[in-house]
Amino acid sequence: MGRKIVLMQRVAISLIIIWCSWCSPALSLDNYECFFCHGQQHPGATAANTDDSRRRFFIDPQNFNRSVHNLNGVGCTECHADINSLKHGKAVPHVTPAASPTCTDCHSATGAAFASSVHAEASNKGIIMRCYACHDPHYVIHQEAASVSERQNRMCLRCHNPYIFHDWLPQKEAHFSFVECTACHAPKVAHHVHLTFYDLVSNQFLSGDTVLNLLRIDAAGFLPLIDKNQDRIIDVNEFETLGLMLRQRDTRIIFHAELVADLAPAVHSLTKKNAEKNCGNCHTANSPFFNNVTIVLSKADGTVDHHEVERAVLEGYHLSHFYALASTRFRFLDKVGIAMLACGFCLVMGHLSVRIITVRQRRPRRQTQSPLEHKGGSA
Amino acid sequence: MKTNAIYIHPAPVRIWHWLNALGFILLIITGYHIRFPESIHLLSLEQAIRIHNYTGFFLIANYLLWLAYYFNAGKVQIYFPDFRTLPELARRQMRFYGYGIFQGEENPHTITLRDKFNPLQQSAYLGLMFFLLPAQIFSGLFLWKVKGFENYIGLLGGIKVVATIHVLLFFFFAAFLMVHCYLATLGHTPLAHFKAMFTGYEEHHTHLPPNHDGGTP
Repeated sequence: MGRKIVLMQRVAISLIIIWCSWCSPALSLDNYECFFCHGQQHPGATAANTDDSRRRFFIDPQNFNRSVHNLNGVGCTECHADINSLKHGKAVPHVTPAASPTCTDCHSATGAAFASSVHAEASNKGIIMRCYACHDPHYVIHQEAASVSERQNRMCLRCHNPYIFHDWLPQKEAHFSFVECTACHAPKVAHHVHLTFYDLVSNQFLSGDTVLNLLRIDAAGFLPLIDKNQDRIIDVNEFETLGLMLRQRDTRIIFHAELVADLAPAVHSLTKKNAEKNCGNCHTANSPFFNNVTIVLSKADGTVDHHEVERAVLEGYHLSHFYALASTRFRFLDKVGIAMLACGFCLVMGHLSVRIITVRQRRPRRQTQSPLEHKGGSA
Repeated sequence: MKTNAIYIHPAPVRIWHWLNALGFILLIITGYHIRFPESIHLLSLEQAIRIHNYTGFFLIANYLLWLAYYFNAGKVQIYFPDFRTLPELARRQMRFYGYGIFQGEENPHTITLRDKFNPLQQSAYLGLMFFLLPAQIFSGLFLWKVKGFENYIGLLGGIKVVATIHVLLFFFFAAFLMVHCYLATLGHTPLAHFKAMFTGYEEHHTHLPPNHDGGTP
């Protein structure tokens, strides 16, 4: 009896293994199978498919391979889960139309943040915003290393013209150049000043790898080389030393600073009515907008290493192009200014005091002197 | 003692002067607001910037009118000292302000229509009106439209350099205004120069005949 049970168990396991091995290609299609059609400019070329639809279904395999999804092992059928088998021989060998992928199955925190956003509210006006209105899931790449203009061009500026809605904002162009939209339109999200390397000779930003090559170190060697006091924060002196090291490599590299929002899921809770409109929150001494300053070393895959930098570097002349009124002012100038005012005040008070003290001295002289006093102008 | 009055400040100059004074006070208050917004809450930062910008443009126009008036009236030379005699005259004037005035001595400079400013005033106003004020105007314009003037700003070394020039001059002009107001009390009475800047007539205590230097009108 016992032998029979064991035998039956073995047969059952064998059958399951055989069934699984037969089914597995259908359950999990490989990307190459999809790209067999969709990787060509003319997928599913039939009379029903116009040129437009051919273009619409084309996915550039090279760009897809560089996408965050592919780099993280997310294949076509992870999102297009309703396509679980291919019926070869048919013009379109899968179910049509394919169901829309549900991004929030994986990106739930992002979905929750989006639900309270102005984009979600737009559904009240009949405008349905889906994730892929902004993010093309086939080509989505890391944004951490992107500059403000790259981030804006890829996202917000595709639909919005910021010049229409910001008449109240002084220095619009400067704000749009140095401050990411989300820094104000996602006010609850943390911000940081993002320092990247800019080559004045080639007029382009340098990747972290290029900078590390110039310094002849690897990513792990960056902080030990720069952070001499080993507090894991690059202070003003260490920052100056880094600039000096780069100049010693016969380069003309400067730091480029921009204010960006952290790319957390909450950044999707974009708001219009609660956007930061109080200039004083940003433009004030010790503004929290400038508390976090980081050097960004970008990698080939688009990810970055952040290295914390002392806030005081924003207040010196190391970043002569980046100046936020009041908040990143050069504090030493205030002392010079107070000294100038104090000199003026002391001069006035000193002269006035001597004038008062010497009144009696002048009186007898006036009485004896010919009437020739105070002829000239003085102001 | 004989008191004469010379019509030393024509109406356009007086109007320019007081508009300039008003503009400077507004610029200093709003400039302070912009530089130190955390320490003053008279206005919002946005309002302070707007008032500062409008006042700045108003003063630029006022400056250009002043320049046009002085060049057109041929009076601009009153701002240019004779550099050959300047050191000695300046020394005498400095001695007067630093010592003679306390002794009740006579001011070594006599106001005339053609020689309105003493040598120290001439040197100071020459620097102020032809160098420092234009520097403040240009740095202010660059800060007003940072992106529009980014090439010029780049040539000067960046926005922080331009802001430094503007801020240092701001402190200088604020200190100057204080000293200027005090020096205006050094007439034959403390309010004599203030009065003259309203009426145009500078009371002139002199033993010379009334029409000696161009005549009193």
